[in-house]
Amino acid sequence: MAQAPINEAVSLADLARDPYSIYRRMRLETPIVEVPAARRIMLTKAKHTRMVKDNAELYSSDDPVTPMQRAFQAHTLMRKDGPEHRAERMAMQKALSPKVIKSDWAELYRKIASDYLDRLPRGERVDLFTDLCGPVAARILAHILGLDEASDADMMRWSQTLIDGAGNFGFAEDPFAKSDAANAEMNAYFDRIEARHRAEPNNSAFSIMLNAANPLPIGQIHSNIKIAIGGGINEPRDALATILYGLLSNPEQLEEVKRTEAWSDAFEEGVRWVAPIQASSRRVTEAHQIDGIDIPEGVTLMTIQASANHDEDLFENGHLFDVFRKKAPHQAFGSGPHHCSGAQVARKTVGEIMLPMIFERFPNMELVPDEKVIWHGFGFRGPLNLPVTLN
Amino acid sequence: MVEITFVHPDGNRRTVGAAPGTSIMQAARDNGINEIIAECGGAMACATCHCYVDDAWTDRVGRRDDAEDDMLDFAEGEVRDTSRLSCQIALSEALDGVIVHLPDVQG
Ligand code: HEM
Ligand code: FES
Repeated sequence: MAQAPINEAVSLADLARDPYSIYRRMRLETPIVEVPAARRIMLTKAKHTRMVKDNAELYSSDDPVTPMQRAFQAHTLMRKDGPEHRAERMAMQKALSPKVIKSDWAELYRKIASDYLDRLPRGERVDLFTDLCGPVAARILAHILGLDEASDADMMRWSQTLIDGAGNFGFAEDPFAKSDAANAEMNAYFDRIEARHRAEPNNSAFSIMLNAANPLPIGQIHSNIKIAIGGGINEPRDALATILYGLLSNPEQLEEVKRTEAWSDAFEEGVRWVAPIQASSRRVTEAHQIDGIDIPEGVTLMTIQASANHDEDLFENGHLFDVFRKKAPHQAFGSGPHHCSGAQVARKTVGEIMLPMIFERFPNMELVPDEKVIWHGFGFRGPLNLPVTLN
Repeated sequence: MVEITFVHPDGNRRTVGAAPGTSIMQAARDNGINEIIAECGGAMACATCHCYVDDAWTDRVGRRDDAEDDMLDFAEGEVRDTSRLSCQIALSEALDGVIVHLPDVQG
């Protein structure tokens, strides 16, 4: 009998400010640790986080008391297991496949990326986080999902509202009032465009789900689209901002990346270095032990993929951004049956299209020297600003 | 021990041993065959473990089922009749000596 050690000292604010030094100590001293502030047992080693994600029977995604259900007004695929999960996930999968991206969307995305870069003012200070990373991610996602008419601002607002609601663990009124209003807007909009998608189907997620041989019930189609809105904007936005920062603050690496066109490696290193989704939760279905520590039935484990991605077992000096480091598998997209459905979309749009185009357009882009880039976040993490001058 | 030969896109071959009961994906990961990325860890959720079964072995290995076929839509490389997700091929004594070809792109 060995209960997980308890870390009373650490707060969520500490974790949002400076998670990596805290996780480093945990990996060293208490790799499996109960953190009352998060009301979870945290797993900080890569081998443990992967094991949990890969075993959906022992570690269920179904959380009966998740605020996510209230925020999305539905039990969504992210919180389901087994065949039911698979059916919902596969219904949307084709729209996110590398082939469809290449055949149907790559040209459009290049044009979108190019248009958004054209709009940026030259020779001035620009915040790429607000003026580029967010809007371009929103625009691209709108097309993937078949929501062409939705504005960037609406997409970003819906996304943030759903995320805030899903993270409303205290069940406060206000975030749910906002998510209810956003759900009403989205449902009305989806109803309006349904006829178009039936009459003129394309390879967007909405069209594919509506026109499938055995379509999901419309409510599930809507909640799948909402999951993708909630999960498909902030992560590519944060990934792009993180990678840009990594390259701009390491000019010798940037030169080498340009010379060898190692944009995909830069992408992988960026999401490894600061994982946009830092942690996930799984509910334990049967009492057992992990490495001699008791894991009781019914507790919620938090897999800290941010920490797994810095694990000394796999990465030397994991706290440093190093595109040319020895390759090892990171877990920024998770693992197991809930592995990110949008991983290939993110790789293509951010890694293959955006990154090279930005540096081609602005070869002398620099960080603004006296403005500090602020990093924030425990569950989700990235820079909050990215001030640069474009020459 | 069961022997598996991986044929790289450039034609180079590498033969490795694995215990019956594991998958071809696992054998590739354990032996540093980097063309098999297997990002979802064998949950049939990523298609980054795509491989081509050698013509001489397709009958013994068996064909993909519908669920695997749907997931193969997600593969980055060209999908052929012999395409399989290597995480879905369990190794047994009957597959001793199996030859699989690796795709030139994989997610
Ligand atoms: C760099 C960008 C991205 C990162 C780092 C990321 C990360 C993740 C992670 C870690 C998970 C697994 C969560 C868990 O295990 O509980 C996940 C799931 C998911 N992601 Fe992403 N994501 C990104 C981009 C996207 C995009 C662009 C889309 C949509 C087009 C998307 C759609 C989804 C969906 C639908 C799921 C749920 C899958 C399931 O539960 O079966 N993601 N993502
Ligand atoms: S390892 Fe992901 S599908 Fe085989």
